[in-house]
Amino acid sequence: MNTTNMLLAAPEFWVLIMACVILIADLFIREERRGIIHMMAMITLVFAAIITVRGDYLSEGLRSATAFNGSFIRDPMGDVLKLFSFFILGIVYVYAKFYLRQFRMFRTDFYTLTLFALLGVMLLISANSLVTIYLGLELTSLSTYALVAFDRESKRGSEAAMKYFVLGSMASGMLLYGMSMIYGATGSMDLADISVAISNQDGDSMILVFGLVFLVVGLAFKLGVVPFHMWIPDVYEGAPAAVTLFISAIPKMAGFAMAYRLLYTGLGDLHTDWQQMLSILAVLSIVLGNLAAIAQTNIKRMLAYSTISHMGFILMGLLPGTADGFGASMYYVIVYSLMSAGAFGMIILLSARGVEAEQLDDFKGLNQRNGWYAAIMAMIMFSMAGVPVFVGFFAKWLVIKAALDAGLLWLAISAVIFSVVGAFYYLRVIKLMYFDEPLTESPIDAPVDFNAVISLNGLLMLGLGVFSGSLIAVCMSAFGA
Amino acid sequence: MSLKTILLLIPLLPLAAAAIAGLLRKQVGRAGSHWVAILGVGVSFLLSAWVLYQQIFLGMETQNITIYTWMISGGVHFEVGFLIDHLTTLMMTVVTFVSLMVHIYTIGYMATDPGYQRFFSYIALFTFSMLMLVMSNNFMQLFFGWEAVGLVSYLLIGFWFDRESAIYAGLKAFLVNRVGDFGFLLGIAAVLYSFGSLDYATVFAAAPGIAGKTVTLIPGMEWQWITVICICLFIGAMGKSAQAPLHVWLPDSMEGPTPISALIHAATMVTAGIFMVARMSPLFELSDAALSFVMLIGAVTALGMGLVGIVQNDIKRVIAYSTLSQLGYMTVALGVSAYSAAIFHLMTHAFFKALLFLGAGSVIIALHHQQDMRYMGGLRKQMPITWITAWVGTLALIGFPFMSGFYSKDSIIEAVAESSRWGSEVAYWSVLLGVLITSFYSFRLLYLTFHGQPRYRVDVGAGEHPPDGVVQHAPHESPWVVTVPLILLAIPSIVIGYLLIGPVLFEGWLSDAISVLPHNNVLEHAAENFHGPVAMAKHAIGTAPFWLMITGFVLATFIYQFRPALADFFKQKLPGIYRLLENKYYFDELYQKLFISRSVRIGRGLWKKVDAGVIDGGLVNGSARLMGNLAARIRVWQSGYLFHYAFAMIAGLIGILAIWVVL
Amino acid sequence: MPITEIVFYVFSLVMVSAGVAVITVRNPVYSALFLVLAFFSSAAIWLLLEAEFLAIVLILVYVGAVMVLFLFVVMMLDINLTPLKEGFIRYLPVGIVVAVLMAAELLLVIWSKGSFDQGAFPIPPPNPVGFSNTKALGELLFTNYLLAFEAAGVILLVAIIAAIALTLRKRVGEKRQNPAMQVRVQRDERVRLVKMDPEPRQGN
Repeated sequence: MNTTNMLLAAPEFWVLIMACVILIADLFIREERRGIIHMMAMITLVFAAIITVRGDYLSEGLRSATAFNGSFIRDPMGDVLKLFSFFILGIVYVYAKFYLRQFRMFRTDFYTLTLFALLGVMLLISANSLVTIYLGLELTSLSTYALVAFDRESKRGSEAAMKYFVLGSMASGMLLYGMSMIYGATGSMDLADISVAISNQDGDSMILVFGLVFLVVGLAFKLGVVPFHMWIPDVYEGAPAAVTLFISAIPKMAGFAMAYRLLYTGLGDLHTDWQQMLSILAVLSIVLGNLAAIAQTNIKRMLAYSTISHMGFILMGLLPGTADGFGASMYYVIVYSLMSAGAFGMIILLSARGVEAEQLDDFKGLNQRNGWYAAIMAMIMFSMAGVPVFVGFFAKWLVIKAALDAGLLWLAISAVIFSVVGAFYYLRVIKLMYFDEPLTESPIDAPVDFNAVISLNGLLMLGLGVFSGSLIAVCMSAFGA
Repeated sequence: MSLKTILLLIPLLPLAAAAIAGLLRKQVGRAGSHWVAILGVGVSFLLSAWVLYQQIFLGMETQNITIYTWMISGGVHFEVGFLIDHLTTLMMTVVTFVSLMVHIYTIGYMATDPGYQRFFSYIALFTFSMLMLVMSNNFMQLFFGWEAVGLVSYLLIGFWFDRESAIYAGLKAFLVNRVGDFGFLLGIAAVLYSFGSLDYATVFAAAPGIAGKTVTLIPGMEWQWITVICICLFIGAMGKSAQAPLHVWLPDSMEGPTPISALIHAATMVTAGIFMVARMSPLFELSDAALSFVMLIGAVTALGMGLVGIVQNDIKRVIAYSTLSQLGYMTVALGVSAYSAAIFHLMTHAFFKALLFLGAGSVIIALHHQQDMRYMGGLRKQMPITWITAWVGTLALIGFPFMSGFYSKDSIIEAVAESSRWGSEVAYWSVLLGVLITSFYSFRLLYLTFHGQPRYRVDVGAGEHPPDGVVQHAPHESPWVVTVPLILLAIPSIVIGYLLIGPVLFEGWLSDAISVLPHNNVLEHAAENFHGPVAMAKHAIGTAPFWLMITGFVLATFIYQFRPALADFFKQKLPGIYRLLENKYYFDELYQKLFISRSVRIGRGLWKKVDAGVIDGGLVNGSARLMGNLAARIRVWQSGYLFHYAFAMIAGLIGILAIWVVL
Repeated sequence: MPITEIVFYVFSLVMVSAGVAVITVRNPVYSALFLVLAFFSSAAIWLLLEAEFLAIVLILVYVGAVMVLFLFVVMMLDINLTPLKEGFIRYLPVGIVVAVLMAAELLLVIWSKGSFDQGAFPIPPPNPVGFSNTKALGELLFTNYLLAFEAAGVILLVAIIAAIALTLRKRVGEKRQNPAMQVRVQRDERVRLVKMDPEPRQGN
């Protein structure tokens, strides 16, 4: 093994080193100066992004490069996803700092755990063998389990963490079982070898499909797709808003990458099988997610169900198994992460000292309290609902087009119908903000960096929609479309 | 700074100003918002003027720049781009200049209005939209600008949303424009269908190719495909430029604040239709039928709306009808292929009509929002600057020699006279007679407002809302923020025609944007007879338009200065005609009867039976109920028990296994 | 039947029954002990596969450390058993149905079409004499699976951090000395000189 190859994983090394540095630095920093930790985490992200951008393998004319005996892969898709993970995690940190300070939870653990989770996400994104996928998944999950229970005083938090942990372990078990089946049938852990082995095999693929089912279940749990979604509402509600923000935004990127690597790179020849499975899961998610969201009065739960439906849309993009489809799906997941970060950022913003603004009613009359914040939230909601011009529309449009490309007209139609149903609860938020009287007149104030970032986040909803071409082009070209 | 940056800045500065003035209301304050808006539009004007300078004196080439490709769908590029030729630059400069004047004027006019900042935000936004419209190099952006200026226009007509009439007027403008926009959209769709592109250059280059193509819309009638396209596009122009019979919204739009009437409903937005047709000249040139249609519509508007102007008493409505009539003149010019004459008149009209409107606004503030001319009179002593500038505007409007309106209007009349298009005789007599009428109602307005004895009473104790004819304070001249724009607009109203008639009309300055087929080129003959602006003015003294104008002046002077009773006499002698005009040819009533009441009735029926019963009760509420029930049911599944969740997962696993592995 | 096969069946039987017992016995201590038995049996099966290192590690780590710790915890916490068992009977029928379905599906897969026939998985050749299982594992771990090995290390680190983050807390009313502060203390922090006006004389 030569070292230049190992340097492909330089961003991962950097994040690992910095996570450890921050862990140790915490011992030497007094409590009132913890802002330094925040700065260090931000610097970590910035340099991670710089290191990622300087991917030399591309300059050598390669579309991808592997390291660690083929268990790790760098390719444009992974780089784009990682860069957006860094970017969105940066946004998350700004929101979270404000929240953690207000709720007296500004501890370094948040930063170390999220950085380790990020490391897991990066590993998953770059995973090219079953072992790496599993370990990346576990690293992410373990960090998030702990994060959910981050507020040690909160009973709901501990309960949610417990549920998440148990169900997550079950899902991991199933995933492992499926992996063992695949390994048994192909004799390899490496996704590229698996793909070769499958295409060389002729006739019966019973074991493979059997393993595939378990893989899909593990994947579906990770993404939170019906019927493996049950943890999402409880975890979203139980976890502190800063953690929910993180969970809703970052790990989904890894979930998408994992789906792509496992299903396409590894099991591409079983396309017809997984296409059918995913299409059923997708439609269930879109239907149930949108319906259940209507009945919610808690905005965190509402967003949880909205996440479930968004995940259904992301699955839709995977269905045709083409570069266009994967590009659409990746575009969706990036856009979703941005929207979700913005929405939870708004929840954090409205949380007064010690009380989380998690009821829909907390958004009543926001326009009268602060017009700009209301406008930001409105942009995010419009985007989530998929109103044209906003970026969410293009994301939905592309994945629906992907479903049509896959010849699944019924799926495309139900997706359209249920996004209209879904528009109802997003627009309800807007109605509450603009047409209802506020419950409280207390002014909303936030630090400068928070204001700047949330304004940027809201404007991105519009800006990326009006100038939608470039990001779509980036996503499409990542798959060589 | 590169040219591209400058061109981008021109529309984006007003947009930024609109955003700041509108969104950061608290942060910038009242003065801040007007400074931001004026600065944005002012710099935008300077940059436009710079581009104009580059083109005139340094011979800058026509620029066709694609700024951003929004998306590519089915081989059609949806782009944002600028086409900067002389036509565009002229429009940009006029729009930003008038807009700047109106911005300054607004400081005085809206000084006490609670919606001050909102107003500035809107007019800056309007400037942005209008610039995007004129600078566009493709149909999509044109349509975007088209709708955006429309939107701002509705917002501003209904600016005082606590007035019932303002809301009604806004709604009316919206609905009437929908009719026009429908045609426009059909036209754009037809363009896309037949050329496969939305880009001007591509479409214009390909246009001659479809000249012979026909289509059967109604069985037994073959239509030229190009005629269909042009008429559809022109229907859009009819809506926006308020041509009969889609003109009904414009007089009502006077419910908006006066600066808006000046900027949007006189100088710029309503001329978008004229601009669009001139821009599309390579298409329109191919269809004689469409051009005849355009010309006749214009002729009807020019004459008919001028006549209505005679009997109006509201000062703003008189000017509004005058605007309609002048737009008719421009449309006639388009119809006889004298596109540059139309654009020239558009430009001169923008200056003097904005001047007249702002002058009217000045009077209106002086009299505390009294708009009825019957309660004015004798204001020349109290408001000398307004009075003089109003005279300048009037002289320009009626086409007095050497004034700007003279050059543009006379050129149009001459072009119509030269034209041999089907129906051009009708158009010629209409525009000729229009001169007399224009002159008459303009002087009527001037006399009723500024001359004679005051017909109002000053009563200090009259209270907040005095009855008609009573004002609380004696009128006085408006503050400088009002008078300076008046003076600045009066200057081009006088000289711009003299200065530009040569280059714009006869030296082919607009020929890079406008294409005229040789057999349609009516201005060519006029060019042969053109020996400089002075000669043209001298020559005019011997022609019919001049004497018609003098007749109008004499009549108005006689009636309104010496024999006021005569007006009433005619009113009683010719009750039929008077009522016809008073009621604006019963257009509103007709629409009310034909469309509105019927559609209201149908609508009500639909609403009661179909909507309330089937759709609301059955589909919407029913489905809402269904969804609600379903949602509530699904919610129960989320019990919170871990083993339920685990069970759901196992069940899901078993389900998938059963389907794919076992079956 | 060769001896290895007999050994395999015996130990698998023990392992499966021990596994069933883990979840059915009422007493958590017994349950833990059955788990130990299950580990032992699987270690024995590993030995049959010539994976000596894994077998020993399983015994050392799981039996020797994890389960002993677990037993300590179970014995120290006095868990009330009745509420835990309440749902058991109620949901037993559903559970059995699910279990039967699942088992049926698995069996169908295993028996159908012969994917799991012995022919599909030939017995690997026995290792040569002197082959070191430990060394082979080590070589693999530090070459092919280096990334996985490191990642596993990070996962353990995260587990430590998570455990500490979730449990370490300052108790209220805790009395603990901080030597650093004691050393650094200044005179002013301990002694405060108060200037007082002399009190006015009482009474007359």
